[in-house]
Amino acid sequence: MLGLPLTFAAPLVLTALAALPVIWLILRVTPPRPRRIDFPPLRILADLLPKRETPARTPWWLLALRLLIAALLILAAAGPVWNPLQSADGRGPLLVILDNGFPAAHDWRERLNLSIERVEAAGRESRVVAVLATAEKPSELQPLNPAAALERLRAVKPQPHLVDRQAHLASIERFLAAAPNAAILWINDGVAGVDGPAFVEGLARMSQNRSVTVLRAERAPALALAGAENAAAHLSVRLVRAETNGRDTGSLRALDLKNLPLADARFAFRAGATETEVRFELPIEIRNSIARIEVLGEGSAGAVALLDDRGKRRRVGLVFGGTTDQAQPLLAPNYYLSRALSPYAEVREGKGAVADAVAQLLNEQVSVLVFADVGALDRETLAKVTSFVEKGGVLLRFAGSRLAAGNDDLVPVRLRRGGRNLGGTLAWDTPRTFSPFTRESPFFGLAIPADLGVRRQILAEPEGDLTEKTWAALQDGTPIVTAGKRGDGLLVLVHVTADTTWSNLPLSGLFVDMLRRVVSLAGATEDIGAEARSAATQTVPPRLVLDGYGVYIAPPPTARPVSRRHAERASDEHPPGFYGPVDASLAVNALAPGDKLAPLDVAPLNALVAPLVGAKTIDLRAPLLVAALLALLVDTLASLWLSGHLANLFGRMRRAGAAAGIVLLAVALLAPPAAQAQSRAPDPPTPLPQESMQSALVTRLAYVITGDPQTDATSRAGLVGLTQVLASRTALEPGEPIGIDIARDELGFYPLLYWPVVPSRPMPSEAAVRRLDGFMKGGGTVIFDTRDAMNARPGAAPTAEAQHLRRMLATLDIPELEPVPRDHVLTKTFYLLDHFPGRYASGQTWVEALPPASEAERRPARAGDGVSPIVITSNDLAAAWAVGRRGEALYPLVGSDPRQREIAFRGGVNLVMYTLTGNYKADQVHVPALLERLGQ
Amino acid sequence: MARVRVLETEKRSPARRETDAALSLAQRLPRLVLEARRAAATLTHGIHGRRRAGIGETFWQFRPFVTGEAAQRVDWRRSARDDRLYVREREWEAAQSVWLWIDRSASMGYVSSLAQAPKIERALVLGMALGDTFVNAGERVGVLGLMRARASRQIAEKIAQAIAGDPYSLDDDLPPRAPIGRFDEAVLVSDFLSPVDDIAAAVDGIAGRGGRGHLVMIVDPVEETFPFSGQAVLHEPEVGLQLRVGDAGSWGATYRDRIKLHREALFDIARRRGWTITVHHTDRPATEAALRVVTLVQAARGGHIGPVAGIGG
Repeated sequence: MLGLPLTFAAPLVLTALAALPVIWLILRVTPPRPRRIDFPPLRILADLLPKRETPARTPWWLLALRLLIAALLILAAAGPVWNPLQSADGRGPLLVILDNGFPAAHDWRERLNLSIERVEAAGRESRVVAVLATAEKPSELQPLNPAAALERLRAVKPQPHLVDRQAHLASIERFLAAAPNAAILWINDGVAGVDGPAFVEGLARMSQNRSVTVLRAERAPALALAGAENAAAHLSVRLVRAETNGRDTGSLRALDLKNLPLADARFAFRAGATETEVRFELPIEIRNSIARIEVLGEGSAGAVALLDDRGKRRRVGLVFGGTTDQAQPLLAPNYYLSRALSPYAEVREGKGAVADAVAQLLNEQVSVLVFADVGALDRETLAKVTSFVEKGGVLLRFAGSRLAAGNDDLVPVRLRRGGRNLGGTLAWDTPRTFSPFTRESPFFGLAIPADLGVRRQILAEPEGDLTEKTWAALQDGTPIVTAGKRGDGLLVLVHVTADTTWSNLPLSGLFVDMLRRVVSLAGATEDIGAEARSAATQTVPPRLVLDGYGVYIAPPPTARPVSRRHAERASDEHPPGFYGPVDASLAVNALAPGDKLAPLDVAPLNALVAPLVGAKTIDLRAPLLVAALLALLVDTLASLWLSGHLANLFGRMRRAGAAAGIVLLAVALLAPPAAQAQSRAPDPPTPLPQESMQSALVTRLAYVITGDPQTDATSRAGLVGLTQVLASRTALEPGEPIGIDIARDELGFYPLLYWPVVPSRPMPSEAAVRRLDGFMKGGGTVIFDTRDAMNARPGAAPTAEAQHLRRMLATLDIPELEPVPRDHVLTKTFYLLDHFPGRYASGQTWVEALPPASEAERRPARAGDGVSPIVITSNDLAAAWAVGRRGEALYPLVGSDPRQREIAFRGGVNLVMYTLTGNYKADQVHVPALLERLGQ
Repeated sequence: MARVRVLETEKRSPARRETDAALSLAQRLPRLVLEARRAAATLTHGIHGRRRAGIGETFWQFRPFVTGEAAQRVDWRRSARDDRLYVREREWEAAQSVWLWIDRSASMGYVSSLAQAPKIERALVLGMALGDTFVNAGERVGVLGLMRARASRQIAEKIAQAIAGDPYSLDDDLPPRAPIGRFDEAVLVSDFLSPVDDIAAAVDGIAGRGGRGHLVMIVDPVEETFPFSGQAVLHEPEVGLQLRVGDAGSWGATYRDRIKLHREALFDIARRRGWTITVHHTDRPATEAALRVVTLVQAARGGHIGPVAGIGG
């Protein structure tokens, strides 16, 4: 229209623009509503009333604004479209074929927008549309109205597998038969699906004289990973593309199971090449934890290679032929082997006799079997091991006296009986070291330590192929490591022991490296026997699968389990992802190792091929309506202002301002933390109360608030006194004592809890008892003070306090108690004491019973493993400790000893020290004995 | 631009708040001035002796019967309570009173954002405060047409009750035509937004027996200045008059001329009859007007007769 790329859906509506002058006239004589003013003096002005004034005209700018609104509405109603897409393929139904395999995921948004644009254009021409997504299951094609077709389009997602377009040919054929004048639009990803060119040929046959448009990129841009190989020293990944597309360099990233990046590697295609290999040169530990490799920035399931447990950590079984007594476990061969193997392999040790151990390890599906000094095997075991090796297992044997005495045929070379000694007392020669490894040896490149020495070995019979089988030899050429293939597997024999009796090889770093090389050979072989047998029948369900963009999602309901041996590329039923449990996952990838991406040739279609570029059609209706709405808003405000209501409104807002401001402020303050909380952590930690913060920062004594004011005051005064004594005599300077509510306060900050028992108070609640139990289990100590030493008589009925305490402790898990023995560490932690008096000296103090003293040694102090969680006394300790504000004692003591208060304080100091240092003093009092034993 | 508001009908009756405000205002008025002037007034008029027995209706005291008095004066109810005979004496009622009238018409229930209080609230507070002050000074205070003059200590509450109990005068724009005594004073508190002739007639009706009075005119600042502009419709709350004004700014000038004429006519009415007029703006404290009215009443008592007109703030 007028040379502009602008059309109207309903151009007739534009005639309404002619009505604008009328609107102008009407608007001009209807001014905005005047403001109302209440004005009592009007009454005396009755003579002024007849002098009515003519109403003011509507201001010109308001008039212009309203005309603009009307014009905008009329224009919007006319349905203007900027840059309209002109269709050239008739008025019949449109069949949109949309490729949504993983090659389309990279630029899916553009593809979808393009298809939406096309469908909208068809909608403007009132054509029906059928949508076919090629990666989905074939279904009947429904001609839809454009709105429904848009819904359908928006529901299409890229799928994580290659498309099988041929499967859709039948439904296309039916659709075309029903709609003879249909046009076909194929938005193509340029990559041949699993069916190859069959679909193009089939479609060409059906669309003899129809309009077919193919929208595709000039060169298929997709990159994909086809296979990752965990080789001996690196992880190599094969990167493929359908055709040279200019994307020659980029990065791969390796991630672990938790999606943390482990390494990046650059890739570069040679000019014209459609595949390349990328290597991750990493230590095997890191390589083992790689679970996913992806092309950075590609965003498609094909550009993700998932790695499973196959060829990762090898399971190694150890069998020792010697006695299984573990008198000196650190000198046994298994110890050296397991220490050397465990960093990069999972080590299992066989239990029991050799036959049992072998059977057990083979059941555990080891991939490497290590025999340390195992002589001849019985026939049944021999058959098992032979079959294991022939199916691809690795048998690594170490020599030893038993092997030297006689061997079976599971050795790579024939061995001589006996062996030879080097560097013995009666021999001239010295222990020999290794000669450098030859290039053929798997150990090539390992450094040989200078102080390596072999004192004894067993010898191989000289044979023609001995040199080929030799992986390592001594300086004089004697083979020291030999190996030979047996079936699919490997036999490796080390001609020395796995312990240090024959050589110091197990002590050297070379031993570790050699074992690592040998074990990594096992990964290169095929799956081993037992596993392979069960794999044929066992199926594993999908656990975590990829969507079309290569993002982990929960498996869709259509995903089906795969068999353990599944090694094909992913399909609709088996989306790529991890199958089976976490520790034995099976990875299914979008492309199988060795797959190639083939370009798709659409030449047979004889179609109109257009690039993947949209026409940038813009529907101007929405912007026009929004502009009209905004203008209407301005008009409303202007009318309000003219009639004076705006001032009223502001006045009201000023009144409501405070409240509104507070609400806004609260929202502003609350909203960002809430948003952050969502992105950061599911529940932010609740802030601690102030006193808990204080308690956490400084050690302080605590007493339980019983609710009896007199008792609580005594407890507090007592702990204040003890705190003063502690501060003046010991290195500990506790904070202000605190009274705590056992049911409410956090107990974890206090090492020691003083609990005077008041029988008149109610029992603590069940929850409080549970908290107390947790406190005691967590290392806290509670001093229960029944304060009844005056009333209690041995043998008499228990006092009220004692009964109360018994009921209280009935549901607690209390250890066995005993009166403090004379050698308990509690008597020695700071002062040397033999009893713990308080206000009374006659009561007994009970602590957790110690384990019985060992007969062997006489120790001056004993302690259990921890601190007694409970101390029960009846001496009313707090009353003895209690001091007033000027430091004067508050209560008289009952007893004859003038030093009783001093002893009470010392007992308190010992108690606190005991809870804080534990059994440290029990060790400390050994020092003289230890020094004496050392002869100092 | 000032915002204005018309109060609801129930807000136009005195409530506890207004009464309290009136009492606190009355306490602040300098009573001594009034007391001093009272002596002179007593001398002048010769009838200002009160607080003693005499002709009247209010009980004053019981005194023992003196032999020779008429037996019908014995108060038998009291005398029956012991052996002696008592005579009930009544207080001597002075013939002079202050009569209040407070306009409570719809035009009084009006407040603008420039004012401190609605006109009606200010009028009630002012009226009751004056009443309390007069009573404390020994005068008797009544409400025109509603309450006879009395010297009750709780005169403010009494006035409030009397006014609140009378819903009929809510529409009355002018005081009832109840002539007051020759030596009585009338205090009319209103906005006097009625035609001048009606006001003159009402004042004549009150002053018919020679009593004098004081007009207290309550004015909202908006009514004085008309600070509006733009297009507006003016509403009159009492009769429901409406006026559409194209440009309130220019109309305001006409209005101010007109209201000035009205004000001059009012002054003229007061001057002709020897009354005083006080114009009180609600954006000023009530004390100013109260002080002025008290002073004017005393000046009138002092025999200083003459036209006194002024603006009490």
